[in-house]
Amino acid sequence: MTAVIHNLLRDRPQRILLADTSLTRGSELISLVAVIAVFGFTYGIVMGAFGGLGPDRWLQITYSGLKTPLLLLATFALSVPPFFVLYTLIGLRDDFGEAVRALLATQAGLTIVLASLGPMMAVTYLSNRDYDTAVSANFVCFGAASLSAQYLLRRFYRPLIDRDRRHRPMLWAWLAIYGFVGIQMGWSLRPFIGAPGMSTRFLREDDWGNAYQALLNKLTGTLGL
Amino acid sequence: MIFRAIHQVDEVLRGRGTVPSELIRGELRLTARPLLIASVVLAMSYGVCMSVFALVRGAGSSDAWIQLLASTVKLPVLFLATFVVTLPSLYVFNVLMGAKLSPKALLRLIAAMGAVILAVLASFGPIVAFFSVSTTSYPFMIVLNVTACGIAGVLGLAFLLRTLGWLVSALDEPGMPEAEPDAVAVDRITTDTGSEQAGLEEETTGSAEGQALAPAEDGEPARDAFDADRAVDDAGAERDEIAALREADRRRAKLVFRVWVVIFSLVGAQMSWVLRPFIGHPGMPFTWFRNRESNFFLSVLRALGQLLGG
Repeated sequence: MTAVIHNLLRDRPQRILLADTSLTRGSELISLVAVIAVFGFTYGIVMGAFGGLGPDRWLQITYSGLKTPLLLLATFALSVPPFFVLYTLIGLRDDFGEAVRALLATQAGLTIVLASLGPMMAVTYLSNRDYDTAVSANFVCFGAASLSAQYLLRRFYRPLIDRDRRHRPMLWAWLAIYGFVGIQMGWSLRPFIGAPGMSTRFLREDDWGNAYQALLNKLTGTLGL
Repeated sequence: MIFRAIHQVDEVLRGRGTVPSELIRGELRLTARPLLIASVVLAMSYGVCMSVFALVRGAGSSDAWIQLLASTVKLPVLFLATFVVTLPSLYVFNVLMGAKLSPKALLRLIAAMGAVILAVLASFGPIVAFFSVSTTSYPFMIVLNVTACGIAGVLGLAFLLRTLGWLVSALDEPGMPEAEPDAVAVDRITTDTGSEQAGLEEETTGSAEGQALAPAEDGEPARDAFDADRAVDDAGAERDEIAALREADRRRAKLVFRVWVVIFSLVGAQMSWVLRPFIGHPGMPFTWFRNRESNFFLSVLRALGQLLGG
């Protein structure tokens, strides 16, 4: 596992997971998905432990552990089809597999960074029982992990861009699609932390609404429109 | 047949059916039928994704299921009807601008454009279905679907313009006047209509320079050389003028096709308004078609206004 972390986070863009070439492309993809699942689950269970570790909180902890990798992988799965069509239209179809591996590796790196921030999140929970503070702290962790992921993404994508500059606008297209879907996915999959006073549920279907509508309402309310 | 159709769509998306070097020769390596079949299937799949909103908000009522069936049928009808309505004008523009595509070849080109639009649209289908499940806002779904169709339309029409651009650059070269003895190359481009073969013909005539260099026998070599040089200069100037005129023709042709693209977009938008509803308003009973009032653009502006107004 430490070898996986080293190869993902250090400078090995050509062969993302392991230095030797014994892995096939397919098993490389499966390994990346497994990394996202394991490290995403690890951060998720820390996130869901805000209300404590009592038996009444185990369900919330489990839900949060499951939902964190689900958020990343479901968003990825929804974003791939239009990305594939755009890649084919622009004439870069032959590089699509490599692009997907680079993007998955970035997600894997993001979950590793998130998991590494888990202990700090635990200390934040121990030192402060305020729900809004917990939400803000998690936002900060995700923000830090996202920034690290951007750095990794540039590194993994650089060989593609060096080969053909058209990969750069495709990367922007990916970020736009992924961001658009990911925001709504995060909104739909809440709660992740679980306010202690509320009953434990996997989703809040009756309060789904729309992340963008909620954001617009907040903006118009703030601006007094 | 479905696999062949999907393979054809894949070829179109990869650009293998519209290779520039073949387009310049007037070759269009596509077949319309599999592309049309694929377009219908892709349109139906997006229609299903669009109507998920009605299915979820309608809690599986019979109206919601009928809406799903209606959207699955109406979306291919929308695109086919738009193509049928705009195809005659495209053919006329094509003939006016001298691109010389036969009606059959034009149909293949339109089918290819439709396949591109619907492949992009169908790829957005899962995202639209996800938002349909997780969103309760009907104006948001209108704006989302219009945006998805807009992006697909832009990419499909860009594909068409690019292909037409290559075809237009294969406009006939007029023959040079017979009195001009200079070396010229004449390209004749024929279009592929299934039975015709595209070909490239070159004819060269003798070089005026070669003739002018024949030694003078009457002691006036300077005057002969001067006449020959002037003939070459005149021929060159006329060639440049013709090239400039042809370049102006090509630019005009491209402008005309861009105007047609705008017409196609407007027709498509209004056709979608005529054939509505596609998504299904949760507060209204199912109907195959709504009253003819207002128009597409006002409706989208109203939806945007509702989104921003809360």
